[in-house]
Amino acid sequence: MGDDYFHTLFCPLNEKKGWVRMKAPFSNYLNSLAEPMKNLVKILRKDYDYVSILSTDSVGLQISVSPRNKSVSNDNLTTERGNVVRVYKNGLYAEYAFNSFDPAGMKDLAEKIRAELDAQLEVLAATRTKPYFTKKLADEPLTLFVEKEAGILPEKADVNYYINLFGELTAEGMKLAPHAVQCSVTAQSTHISKMFLTMNRDLRQSYVYSEANMLLVAANEEDSRFGYDGISGCKGLEVFEELRPLPKKLAETAEKMLKAKRLVPGEYDIITDPGVTGLIAHEAFGHGVEMDMFVKNRALGKEYINKRVGSDLVTMHEGAKCAESVTAFAFDDEGTLAGDVIEIDHGILKTGIADALSALRLGIAPTGNGKRQNFEHKVYTRMTNTLFDSGENTLEEMIASVEYGYLLEGVESGMEDPKHWGIQCLVSRAYEIKDGKLTGEMYSPVVMTGYVPDLLGSVSMASKDCGVEGNGFCGKGYKEFVKVADGGPYLKARARLG
Amino acid sequence: MILDTIRDVLEYSDVTGYEITDTKIHSWEFYLIRHKLDQHRVRDTEHVVVKVYRSLEGGQYLGSAKAEIAPTASKEEVRTMISRLCEQAAFVKNPMYRLNNRVTFQEEKPKVISVSEIAKDFFDAVHSVNETSGEDINSYEIFIKEIERRIINSEGIDYTVKYPSSMLEIIVNARKEGHEIKLYRNYTSGTCDKAALVRDITETLRFGKDRLLCVPTPKLGKFPVIFSTSDVLSIYEGFYLDRMSAAAKYMRYSDYEIGKPIVENPEGDMVTLYALHELENSSHNFLFDEEGALIRDRCLIRNNIPENFYGNRQFSQYLNLDHSSIVYNYSVEGGTKSASELRKGDCLEIVEFSDFQCHPITGDIAGEIRLAYWRHDGIVTPVSGGSVSGNMRELAKKMYLSKELRQYDSALVPSVTRIEGVQITGIE
Repeated sequence: MGDDYFHTLFCPLNEKKGWVRMKAPFSNYLNSLAEPMKNLVKILRKDYDYVSILSTDSVGLQISVSPRNKSVSNDNLTTERGNVVRVYKNGLYAEYAFNSFDPAGMKDLAEKIRAELDAQLEVLAATRTKPYFTKKLADEPLTLFVEKEAGILPEKADVNYYINLFGELTAEGMKLAPHAVQCSVTAQSTHISKMFLTMNRDLRQSYVYSEANMLLVAANEEDSRFGYDGISGCKGLEVFEELRPLPKKLAETAEKMLKAKRLVPGEYDIITDPGVTGLIAHEAFGHGVEMDMFVKNRALGKEYINKRVGSDLVTMHEGAKCAESVTAFAFDDEGTLAGDVIEIDHGILKTGIADALSALRLGIAPTGNGKRQNFEHKVYTRMTNTLFDSGENTLEEMIASVEYGYLLEGVESGMEDPKHWGIQCLVSRAYEIKDGKLTGEMYSPVVMTGYVPDLLGSVSMASKDCGVEGNGFCGKGYKEFVKVADGGPYLKARARLG
Repeated sequence: MILDTIRDVLEYSDVTGYEITDTKIHSWEFYLIRHKLDQHRVRDTEHVVVKVYRSLEGGQYLGSAKAEIAPTASKEEVRTMISRLCEQAAFVKNPMYRLNNRVTFQEEKPKVISVSEIAKDFFDAVHSVNETSGEDINSYEIFIKEIERRIINSEGIDYTVKYPSSMLEIIVNARKEGHEIKLYRNYTSGTCDKAALVRDITETLRFGKDRLLCVPTPKLGKFPVIFSTSDVLSIYEGFYLDRMSAAAKYMRYSDYEIGKPIVENPEGDMVTLYALHELENSSHNFLFDEEGALIRDRCLIRNNIPENFYGNRQFSQYLNLDHSSIVYNYSVEGGTKSASELRKGDCLEIVEFSDFQCHPITGDIAGEIRLAYWRHDGIVTPVSGGSVSGNMRELAKKMYLSKELRQYDSALVPSVTRIEGVQITGIE
């Protein structure tokens, strides 16, 4: 597979800033580590039936600016340098994560790994804990080297330029909102390098993702409200220029939020903006079809394959290949190549997503969704890009079709229940629609709840456009935070709001 | 080894001051499906974080920048990173503040931590739970960490703290007539408290059984709500503790003022909240915060009135706070009535949410109800569905706290909290 495996946006020289998109170079450190790590695989292979190593060297930057404080860190949640060994023997998998070692002393390191994993087996024997027998992973030969394009790399960034840019934007926000008490920008970028090695595989990839969030808090004597938005992409720090329209938008939002009314709870026609659409995609059939949950019998989706779960207008894709977002990798953390899975096809649930071990247990092919928070953490089945397909309508047509309802905008958070298909979405604001027109009235905050098949079954219109958002992190339960992206078009549906 | 290299390079750099935090983690992890082992893991890692400071414009400002330096970094990589930090710090102009100084303190005996013994305790605890054909354990994950953190700064601080930190994530199932549901729990603690775990997991199994009996939550409108699980921490932290942080105050996210009541004319119990340096078996029991400040017991809110803000040394100094530190453990005093008295009369006791939240800026609360007990006219009915909403600025006026307390890792709070007038959006 060549370097053109991925679609990359062509972006010519930016004359104003003087940057050009070029290949983000793969880590020299990891290149230097390849032979010692291959040696470690060989040594451990004498005692185990399967051995793999994931080595990471991801450098980054995080800048926070507000009128009252500034901070710069060369770390963020996705920067890391370390290694994790996965071994297999007697139907059981084990892992050893480490970051302090001597590349010249791999024999000693292998002995240390064996000794500590054996000590754990003693505890398991003492507690009469049996293995969940799993077959051995395949190890077909494959070599891959991918360097994706980016503009400005975090390790080369002009920090002063971005501190000044964010300073200007936050000052503008404060000036535009009469009730503003604080305005801040938090931006981060990571240049990710990962190397996956087995006896037969040598996969190396390098790419950059960046994201920034802007927050404007407004307060009066009775209340505090805020406007919040972000930008992101599989790009370098050049993406931060896209923040420029936000001060005006957030100032208007925060001021309006101070006057927002409380919704009368009930069931309404709704139109979701691409952000809220993405939240529904993520919570409804993102977590719900993570197939490690199928192995544990923790998801209702298992019983609904090839059954209807939404209206004909609902088609949903999932995979790192679906969009050039913050999670557009070439291979996942188990060495499976990136995929593009159609989870729901015109309302019919077709399949889920799986990491390599879950796929092995379910007798299916892995989908490239085995992700770790970082090298220290276990792999779980995780989302990448989760997107609803676009439709045929315009937003104007959709609004005109609503007798009474709300346009929902601004994602706060969400939570799903894969076993019961309940969904909870906290949405920042709802704009009233009456007789096919927006009235200008805003309601906030909004809790949208419901039963997933009812919600997706009620989708009656979808817009032609499609937005993808990749800000923030997604947890599994309340831990294991990874980057994901989601989105889709404006959707018209019916939901319970509170 | 890497510490020596870093200190050598810092010695000959342009920095005004520095802080180094060296955290070594030895962790054992076990992942189980039902009671069979899915995977076992070891973590053996070291994380060295360096923060450099530069005095700017004649001491009017203090610049800073930080980075993690890998233990495998070469001397050349360390030099390059420190040089980069020095350059970056010059652009980060914040009003001047001082690094922490060394203080005298009563040294603790080094803790002896055995990850293998703690692991056995967790297995024993889970195996002790009485499962039935209707309610059982679906899967669980055990994490045991031995953490050693050394804090060094340019003002002479060189402290080391060592402590255990454990977590059990467990999912239980309940089923009846082909219908099955799951409940999720995540317990954190220092070591394993077997008795408390067995009690809590048994309670969760009972909740699972009751959830299968649920009828849709009625449209109750504004109604008294009882919080008796860890969801209540969102309120004590989001509306009280977080708003007392010096950072929230300095950044104007919090409008709390020392001596000014948090809510006017409260009719319910008053909240009194303490920061504590230690709570039994908390996963955060250590003498110093991550910047080397001694953690002291202190009252943050007394009878609904802010008494002391808290926080890191930068924001604490901006607010002229003495003896301040980051807070890890806290307690909330009990109220005047017992838990059983608070449950009297019509109310909705919500024990399972999809995700209950209290927003630290707005005070909004929200959450979808997965299981609640609706007490009405002397009858108790399990209900599910719908959501709660409201704003703590109003709701805190009629909040009642039980005399009895319950600990959730680093928080000790009233076991029952009753709030009047919460909006309940039902589905029937």
